[in-house]
Amino acid sequence: MGVDTIVQTFANALVLGSIYAMVAVGLAIAFGVMQMANFAHGELFMAGSYVVFALYTLVGIPFLIAVILAFPIVAAIGMVFERSIFRPTRGNVLAGFMATAGAGFILQVLVGQQWGVGLMRTIQTPYPGSTEILGAAISYQRLLIFPATVVMVGGLWYFLTRVKQGKALRACAQDPEAAVLQGIGLNKMTGLAMLLSGGFAGVGGALMAPIIPVTPYMGHTYAVTAFIIVIVGGMASIEGAVIAAFILGFIHTIVSTMYDSVTATMVGVFFMALVLILKPTGLMGRVKV
Amino acid sequence: MSKFNPSTHLLVGSLVVIVFFILAPNLVSAYRLELLTIFLINVILAQSYRLMATTGDWTLCHYILMGVGAYATGILAKMAGLPFYVVMPMACIVTAFVSLLFAIPLSRTLGFAFFIASFAMGEFVRHVWLKFHYPFGGARGINGIPKHEIGQGGEWYFINFWDSRNFYYFALVFTILTLVILFRIDRSRLGNAWKSIYTDRELSESIGIDVSKSRVIVFCVSGFFAGLAGSLLAYQIGSIDPQNFGMVEMVYLIIWCVVGGVKTYWGPLIGVLSMSVVFELTRPLAEWRPALFGLILILFLVLLPGGLETLPTRIREMLNKTSKQREAG
Amino acid sequence: MMPFFSVENLTKKFGGLIANNNISMDVEQGEIRGVIGPNGAGKTTFFNLVSGFYRPTSGKVSFKGNTISGLPTNKIARLGAVRTFQRAALFSDFTVLENVSIAQHLKTNSSLLNAIFGHDNHREVDSLERAEEIIEFLGIERDRDTMAANLSHGLQRQLGVAMALATEPELLMLDEPVAGMNSGEKAIMVGMIQKIRDKWGVTVLLVEHDMRTVMNLCEKITVLDFGQKLAEGSPDDIRSNPEVVEAYLGADDSVT
Repeated sequence: MGVDTIVQTFANALVLGSIYAMVAVGLAIAFGVMQMANFAHGELFMAGSYVVFALYTLVGIPFLIAVILAFPIVAAIGMVFERSIFRPTRGNVLAGFMATAGAGFILQVLVGQQWGVGLMRTIQTPYPGSTEILGAAISYQRLLIFPATVVMVGGLWYFLTRVKQGKALRACAQDPEAAVLQGIGLNKMTGLAMLLSGGFAGVGGALMAPIIPVTPYMGHTYAVTAFIIVIVGGMASIEGAVIAAFILGFIHTIVSTMYDSVTATMVGVFFMALVLILKPTGLMGRVKV
Repeated sequence: MSKFNPSTHLLVGSLVVIVFFILAPNLVSAYRLELLTIFLINVILAQSYRLMATTGDWTLCHYILMGVGAYATGILAKMAGLPFYVVMPMACIVTAFVSLLFAIPLSRTLGFAFFIASFAMGEFVRHVWLKFHYPFGGARGINGIPKHEIGQGGEWYFINFWDSRNFYYFALVFTILTLVILFRIDRSRLGNAWKSIYTDRELSESIGIDVSKSRVIVFCVSGFFAGLAGSLLAYQIGSIDPQNFGMVEMVYLIIWCVVGGVKTYWGPLIGVLSMSVVFELTRPLAEWRPALFGLILILFLVLLPGGLETLPTRIREMLNKTSKQREAG
Repeated sequence: MMPFFSVENLTKKFGGLIANNNISMDVEQGEIRGVIGPNGAGKTTFFNLVSGFYRPTSGKVSFKGNTISGLPTNKIARLGAVRTFQRAALFSDFTVLENVSIAQHLKTNSSLLNAIFGHDNHREVDSLERAEEIIEFLGIERDRDTMAANLSHGLQRQLGVAMALATEPELLMLDEPVAGMNSGEKAIMVGMIQKIRDKWGVTVLLVEHDMRTVMNLCEKITVLDFGQKLAEGSPDDIRSNPEVVEAYLGADDSVT
C-alpha cells in the first residue's frame, strides 16, 4: 500500500469521523438530558443538507452562510420534536423513540414532495478542485470539514463549561431532580438539548451536502451510525461520543477500503451489539441505557 | 383461569368474522384476495409480536425474523427443491433457532438497550443477506420460488396452490391455527407467568420464575411464528427482495401493535385490521401515505398509548369525568 | 446434624464500605427468628444477601445443605426459601385469587406443551382449592376477586405473604413485615406469621425494625449493629443485654 493510499484513507477517515462526531454529539446531548432518543435524527441531518440545497443551489446564498443558517433552522425542527413528542412522552423512552420514527416519515415525505424523491440532488461544491498532500488528492470541500467540526465541538465545550445555560444543561443531565430543586426549568433544558441536537445534525448535513448524494432517505445510515457511536461511547457522554465517532470513522473507512461498505456496516453493527450486551453503559458512559 | 368463558357477543362476532373469511374468495376480486392473504400473514406476524410485547420485550428485529423464515423457504423450496411440508416446518425451526441466537445475548439487556440491540442484530442479518450472493442472492434476493402442489394432477385430492383461492385457504388454515395456539398460551398458567414478568420482574423471580430463561423461550416461540409468516409470504409472492425487510416495514408492525394495543389478545388484530383498511383507502394519496402513518403513530403514542383496545375504558372515564364536572359545576 | 438454614462468616463490601462483617448464625427448622438492629446496622444488606439479591463478598449461606449464596432468587425459591417484599409487590392487573394462583407456578404444570394442549384436570382443580385455602387462611377471602391494585396497603402486604405461601416454601423470609402498619394491622400480621409456622410448619426468618413486634413474635432474636452480630438469644436475653440497650440508646425505639 503506497503512502498516498494511506494518506487518502487517513483523510477520508478524518472527514467521516468529523461528520460522525457532529451527528453523534447531538444524539448524546438529547439522550443525556431526559433520555430523549430520536429515531429521526438522520432526518435532521437530511434537513441540513436540504437547507443548503434550498438556500445555496436554488436561491444563491453563499455556501457558508447557508451552512450557518442550517443551525437555527434545523435546531427549530428539533425543538418542535421536543415540544410535540418528547415532552408528552417524557418517562417513556420507547414511546418517544417510536413517535420520532413517525416524525421521520413525515419529514421524508415533506422534503420529497417539495423537491422530488427519485432524483439525487447533486449540489455543486463551492470549492472546486483539490490539493495534493503526499500524493493523495483531497478536495477543498472535504478539507473544510475537520476544522469546521473542531470549531463547533470546541464551541459546544465552551458553552457547556463556561456559559450558565450550558452548565445548567450538564447539571440537568447528571441529576434532573437536583437541577429542578435548584430552579432550573426542565422544559427549558429539554428544549435547549433538542435545539443543540438539531443544530449539530443540521450543520453536519449542510457540510456534507456537496459531497454525498442528497435524497430524502440519505439520513438513515448516518442515524444508524450515530446510534452505534453513542452507544459505544456511552449514551450520555459527549466526550465518549466524539472519541467513538473518530474510532468508528476510522474503522468504517479502513474496512470499506479493504472490503466494502456493507461489510463496514456489519462490523459497526456487530460492535454495537457487543457493547450493549457486555457493557451497556458504553465505553465511557455512566448512564445505564 | 385456563377456562375461557366468552360472552355471547364475542362468540357471535367471531363467527361472523370467520364466516366472512371462509366465503371471502367468492366475495372479492382476485387482486383483493391476494391482499387478504397478505393481511392474514400480517395477522400471524402481529400476534407473534404481541407474545414478546406482553413480557415487556419490544424488539426491532421481528420483521427481519420473518425474513429469515422467508429466505429459508426460498432457499429450501427453490434451490433444494423440497416440498412444502418439509420446507415450512424447517423454515419455522430455522427462524426459532436464529431467534435463540439473538435471545441469549439479548436477554442480558432490558428496555431501551434491548430495543436497540435487537435492531443491531437484525441489521446484521439483513446485511448478511445483502452481502452474500450465495445463497441469499445479495441485493437481488431470490426469485422464482415455486408454489407447491399436492399430487400430480388428475387425482381427486389434487390441489394446485398456484391458484390464489387455494393458497388463500392454505394461509387461512395456518392463521387460525396460529391464533388458537397463541390464544391458548395466552390464557394458560404459563402465559400468565410470562405476563407477570412484565408487571413485576423481581416479584416473578421471587416466586420461582426464571425470568431470563422465560424471555428466551418467549423469543423463540415468537420467532417460530414469525418464521411461519415469512414462509407463507415467500410462497405467496414467489420472490424475496431484501429491500422489503427494512425499517419501514418494522415500523408498520409497531404501528399495528401501538394502534391496536397489546394488553388484550385482540389488540394487534384490531391494529392490523384498522391500519390495513386505512392503507387501502389511502392508496390515492400515494406518496403522502408514510407521512399519514407517521402522524398516526405520533398521535397514538402521545394521546392513546394503550391503543384502540383501551378506547372503551378511556371513553367511559371521560364520560364519568364530564358528568362529575357537571354535578360539581 | 446439618443446620436447616445457616449463615457462615457472611461479609459484604461495597467498595470501601463494609456493610456486613463476618456474620454467622444458624436457624433451626420450625423457628421464628428475628433479625433486628438500629438504623444502619446492615439489616437490609443482610436480607438481600440471604434472599439472593446480592452476592456475598465472602462467606456463605446454606439452606438444607445447599449453598444458596450467589444463586439467583428464582433458584433459591425453587429450593424452598421464599422472600417477601417491603414494597407493595403484586401483579396489578390480576385479582387476588389470580395473583395467588400465578404464585403457584412452581407447584403446577406450567410447561409450554401443557399450555397448548392441556386442559382442566384434577391437578388444576387441586391447585385452585389450595389457592383458596391460602386466601382464607390469611383472611383475605372477601377480596378474592378484587384487582390487586385496588387493595389497601395492609391487604396488599397480606397478599404478598399469601403469594409466598403459594410456593409451599419451607423457609419464609420476611422483609420488614410490619413496616408502615398501624398497631391493629401489626397484631393481625403477627398472628398470621404464628399461624403460618404453627399450622403449615414453615420456618420464618424476618428482618424487622419494630422491636415490640419482634419481642412478641420471635423465639430467638439476632441483633446486628455496625454490620456485625452483636447478640443472639431469647427475647428476655436480648432485653436484658446491656450492649443491645446501649446500641439502641438515643434511638426512637425503646427496648421493652
